[in-house]
Amino acid sequence: MKNVIEVKHLTKSYKAHKAVDDLSLEVHEGEILGLLGPNGSGKTTTMNCILSLLKFDNGKITVFGKEMTPSSYDAKAKIGVVFQEVAVFDELTVYGNIDYFCGLYIEDKETRAQYVADAIKLVGLEDCTKQYPKQLSGGLLRRLNIACGIAHKPKLIFLDEPTVAVDPQSRNNILDGIKKLRDDGATIVYTTHYMEEVEILCDRVIILDRGKIIASGTNDELKALAKIEEKVTVEIPELSPKQLSGFEKIKNVSEVEYDNGVLKVVYRRGKNNLGDMIEYLKENRINYDKIFAERPTLNDVFLELTGKELRD
Amino acid sequence: MTVSKAFWRIVLKNIGTIVTYTVILVVFGSINMNSNSTTTQFEAKKPTVVIFNHDADGALAKSFVDYMEKHTEISDEYENDDKLKDALFYETVAVAVDIPENFSTDLAAGNNPEIHMQSSAGYVGELAKVSVRRYLMMAQSYASLDLNESELVAKVEKALSKDTIVEVKSKVDSSKFLRAATYFNFANYSILACVITIICLIMASFNRLPVRKRNLVSAVNIKRMNAVLLRNSCIYSGLMWLFYLVVGFVVVGFDNLWNTYGLLFAINSFVFCVCATCIAYLISKFVQKSGAINGIMNVVALGSSFLCGAFVPAEYLPAGVLTFAHVLPSYYFIDANNKIIYLENFDLASLWPVILNMLIMAAFCVGFVIIANIVSKKKQKIA
Repeated sequence: MKNVIEVKHLTKSYKAHKAVDDLSLEVHEGEILGLLGPNGSGKTTTMNCILSLLKFDNGKITVFGKEMTPSSYDAKAKIGVVFQEVAVFDELTVYGNIDYFCGLYIEDKETRAQYVADAIKLVGLEDCTKQYPKQLSGGLLRRLNIACGIAHKPKLIFLDEPTVAVDPQSRNNILDGIKKLRDDGATIVYTTHYMEEVEILCDRVIILDRGKIIASGTNDELKALAKIEEKVTVEIPELSPKQLSGFEKIKNVSEVEYDNGVLKVVYRRGKNNLGDMIEYLKENRINYDKIFAERPTLNDVFLELTGKELRD
Repeated sequence: MTVSKAFWRIVLKNIGTIVTYTVILVVFGSINMNSNSTTTQFEAKKPTVVIFNHDADGALAKSFVDYMEKHTEISDEYENDDKLKDALFYETVAVAVDIPENFSTDLAAGNNPEIHMQSSAGYVGELAKVSVRRYLMMAQSYASLDLNESELVAKVEKALSKDTIVEVKSKVDSSKFLRAATYFNFANYSILACVITIICLIMASFNRLPVRKRNLVSAVNIKRMNAVLLRNSCIYSGLMWLFYLVVGFVVVGFDNLWNTYGLLFAINSFVFCVCATCIAYLISKFVQKSGAINGIMNVVALGSSFLCGAFVPAEYLPAGVLTFAHVLPSYYFIDANNKIIYLENFDLASLWPVILNMLIMAAFCVGFVIIANIVSKKKQKIA
């Protein structure tokens, strides 16, 4: 598979603090790569180094097969960036902003008009084209921010936490738009600390902590790193200490926790854990309200690898 | 093209600012122009004098009264009482002259008789006293020649009949151009306000970190983008200069500006516009928040306009203020405007004080650009 980005031994320090520490990664053509990590893990710094917005101490960065420098305008012409902060002109309308940023790449007036219309449609801002950014809600503003970054139909798109502080409706809209961009052939680097988004969107995930890659792979590959297989949660209004100790003896159970009428049972391995649990409850005549099983999340993987939550 | 288009769209979004400062210029500038207007026509008014003649038969006393009648307005409404004192206090009478008995005989004999005078406190009273003393001194001078009374009267009257001719050699009616100078002096504020506000707001929009980052990762060379912004800033300032020149023709009057003086005012204001652009360029390197831009613009535009005599003529400002104003380009702009109106010749020697002021403004421009570039480079290093 062709690599769009190759980063080798990237190191970037701010005085004594190493923001990125000997980081190497590859981004394959046509994939959505998720850069997952808590705040301060080095996601944005890595992205800024790749984009030549930051000078780095060591390492080599190649984009589209050529070394990336501030004057790599050929490569830059094929890149679109959606920054974490909303980067638009307050004095220009929604259309004016998208037209301006698209105009930095596309000179032909007719092509640009078509691209701008496509971007507006993609993010669902058809009704707001004449409004100014200050007249938009937070969600619509984020959508505008995305439209400004992708209007010129780039082959490589960087999305830096584009859904921060966005309402659920706008978030779904944005995620659908990103999937469509991938389907249209774009390669996407998506940085976030929302694991749910990574699980929905990304073909491959790199988990960062303290400037280092601590794990990488597909969602399933990463989840396989977790020592737990499944979590079963049962809502039981009343449970005696004797009944509670009985759960620990069930096969493959590694952890049992009962708090506030909710029983959480963690299984190491095995299949049909949910069926076994239902059978056990029936046999022991334990009444329950709800029961459901969960596969381990990336947060569980992160927790196991670092000992802390992703959103710490 | 895209950058230029965005630049002018932002200008149009802020057109209200330009309109506001132009209205301020037209309204307050016009008020200022009318309050500073001068007139070349005046009517001479003679001071009112009261004469108590106790030597009515004397030839010299009669001659003195005739002389005073010629140069003053003699009133016979008053007696030597409190009413006269009130009239002197309120300056309705400039001077009251008491001619003593035997005045003519004594004067002809060279005895220097004393004339008692009561005058009002103002300058008109002093002028009237000068007229009285002039006659007496003349008569006393001729009295030493041992002439009889009638000969003495003839000599004195002949001498006093000679008028001194005063000729104003200046060909220029400076009052004609005072309106233009007042307009351009007041334009100091509007030019600074419009140029600084708009350019700084545009630069702030483009230099706001997220937007700047997006521009930096784009396919456009950031140096070229900055050059486009700078070029458009200069075009904007040029258009503002042209606009205020046209407004000047309307407000001051076409005839008052369509001449060599108008050309000098135009050149001077153009140099100042360039200077204002450099000030805006420098401020944009320091300040990037729109609220702060308005604050700084007010300090710079209002402050320099007050200190350098844009609103109040420089001659009314304290010396200390004017000394401080020398560090501001507005001082040289306003000073040049004030010098232009008194120009009589347009050779290099006459024009040199005006040219020197323009050169000083140009030097300010160079200084501002150098400081701005140093600041810019330091900021890049920090980033």
